[in-house]
Amino acid sequence: MNFEPLTLDRETDLLRKEVRAFLSDQRDFLKGGYIDCWSICEPAFSRLLGEKGWIGMTLPKQYGGGGRTYLERYVVVEELLAAGAPVGAHWVADRQTGPLLLSFGTEEQKEFFLPQIVRGECYFAIGMSEPDSGSDLAAIRTRAERVEGGWRITGGKTWTSFAMTCRYVLLLCRTAPPGSEAADRHKGMSQFILDLESEGVTRRPIRNLAGEDHFCEIFLEQVFVPENRLLGEEGNGWRQVMAELAFERSGPERFLSNFRLFSEGLDFLRTSGKGEIGARTIGRLAAQLMNLRQMSLSVAGQLQAGELPVNEASIVKELGTTFEQNLAEALRGPLAIEPGVDAGERMSSLLGKSILTAPSFSLRGGTREILRGILAKGLGLR
Amino acid sequence: MNEMTSIIEESVNDLFAEEVTPESIETMESGGFPEPLWSTFDGGGWTRIALSEEDGGAGTGLSGGYTLMRIAGYHAAPLPVVEAILGTYLLSASGLPIPEGLLTVALADQSPPGENNGRLLLPRVPWARHARGVVVVLPGRNGSTGVAWVDRDSYQVQEHRNLAGEPRDDVLVSSRKPAEEKLIHATSTEQVRSWFALGRAAQIAGAAQKALERTIAYANERRQFGRPIGKFQAIQHQIAVQAEQLYAARCAADTAIAHLGTPQEWECIAAAKILSGEAVGIVAGTAHAVHGAIGFTKEFALQLDTRRLWSWREEYGNEDHWSRRLGEFCLALGEDRLWTFLTAQTG
Repeated sequence: MNFEPLTLDRETDLLRKEVRAFLSDQRDFLKGGYIDCWSICEPAFSRLLGEKGWIGMTLPKQYGGGGRTYLERYVVVEELLAAGAPVGAHWVADRQTGPLLLSFGTEEQKEFFLPQIVRGECYFAIGMSEPDSGSDLAAIRTRAERVEGGWRITGGKTWTSFAMTCRYVLLLCRTAPPGSEAADRHKGMSQFILDLESEGVTRRPIRNLAGEDHFCEIFLEQVFVPENRLLGEEGNGWRQVMAELAFERSGPERFLSNFRLFSEGLDFLRTSGKGEIGARTIGRLAAQLMNLRQMSLSVAGQLQAGELPVNEASIVKELGTTFEQNLAEALRGPLAIEPGVDAGERMSSLLGKSILTAPSFSLRGGTREILRGILAKGLGLR
Repeated sequence: MNEMTSIIEESVNDLFAEEVTPESIETMESGGFPEPLWSTFDGGGWTRIALSEEDGGAGTGLSGGYTLMRIAGYHAAPLPVVEAILGTYLLSASGLPIPEGLLTVALADQSPPGENNGRLLLPRVPWARHARGVVVVLPGRNGSTGVAWVDRDSYQVQEHRNLAGEPRDDVLVSSRKPAEEKLIHATSTEQVRSWFALGRAAQIAGAAQKALERTIAYANERRQFGRPIGKFQAIQHQIAVQAEQLYAARCAADTAIAHLGTPQEWECIAAAKILSGEAVGIVAGTAHAVHGAIGFTKEFALQLDTRRLWSWREEYGNEDHWSRRLGEFCLALGEDRLWTFLTAQTG
């Protein structure tokens, strides 16, 4: 297990300043900063970030990307998250679909999709979970069958965040003949780039308990996908999905989802004479946050070096999302205000939103139990 | 990790693996001094590790010393490595001569220093009964640190121990204050205290690593219901959480070590002592839960790690102490500067 501390170089410092200056001019978009801001879709803001060159930063310049390092991307992303900026629209495309297309896509796919992603105009959803396949991803049933000129897909996906606003979904399907999965459940899967405007696709929002409807379900009835929209090799889907998940687990979004509650809560305590009551709680949370950031940066450094730190990423995700979930729990005592949902009552709504969205933090991107299983294996148990 | 640190790590690991024996630990616990271990350790010049190369050090500054402390923690070495290394460093930094033999440190920075019939009382000084003398740290002029040497001839001890049986003696100096005091400028007693806290955090990272390794080995070996208990998901998940806590504590200690001498030194040390203190309850608790009754025996070595963990988290400030101070610091920053502070750590 490797969490060797990492120091960012001077150039990232300039980049950070540039992002801060930009954000200070974007008060209309930020609206004071959102809780769970990477679930807030604002295409106009995404396009603005695209113009700044802050989407697809690690992609090569020949596809419009920034040709920059993972650490430079890290700095930009953490600044956006700390400000609570609405980065949901391009989030998945920037974090995982872009790098995945770069690794496994055809030249045509790269030339078609990457420049649009970089501009903040092309949004992807994650097509993994199904009604009977959540943590047990290998249990998926959505099937693609070869037809002339491409594939026909039947099945459905669920918990597909932003499927209503995204144009595309990266779909994991079974491509081996029915019954063959009995031998090896991880074989015979493939990934497809599905245009959600295709015939036979039905999308429906699912309202969550916080009253938002970025969650969706997708029904696929004999949907045709042309040959050139298979991603990577037929049958290589499982391996590709695992690579995709590696990008998902260790980033700053795993501990900064409700940073606004921490930073503004701290000011609230100070200005309302509750500093003394809250100091211990604030100190403990600050220590955890400092350390999570360092652990996460260390993983980013390893990704940059071409390593695949699966166990370390699992640790960051579990500790990070536990921190996020604990934030409201720990602060509600010293804050001593009733949580609410009305935007006008800033502190109350930050607390309320944090409580209402907290359950999702440890579910998305692999549950706590799945992560502990991965880690146990990595530690030499089982 | 740089080359020098790897060399230190390897050499010290070999030394302790060979020389830390059940007998040497038993000697300490029964009030004696593990002479053979000390001779090898001292003979290797390891107490001078944090000094400059001209003075016999490794040229790594304090950071090499902390690597050594972590490894000493891993092996449950029955020696006051933190006090010996930092005491030597403080003497050197203040320009006082470094005597031969074991030395220890008393932090008399908290006002007013204890007194007993006009004699200076220094509570819970590690290994004072066996030491050649005590390096006393006192508040100096203008926020500097005063360092004084009190020879063994000039104090009496009342023997006490921590949960691990490590000597923590009350020292009664024969005078009201030590004779000669030299100053270390640009270093506050608060900073000196934090160096000792980091020493305990490093030791905790080492001992927690050992406790985790023992737990994994035992879970893979112990069979119940026809299979190793490590095959049960309930056990696996507990151990996964235990490991997460250890690696968080280790990363925090390493981060603080990497930030020695930077503007974030103090905050990083506070975080390290908080996270190592938080880890102890879970790491030790899980280790014992998985080991069952055998782990509760004196004969089984797990107690060497866990009794140390339970002691060390309390020494030089527990997590409540450091949390309150770090919290006050963050509250004073306010929302505007909080994020700047968080990102200034590591540039």
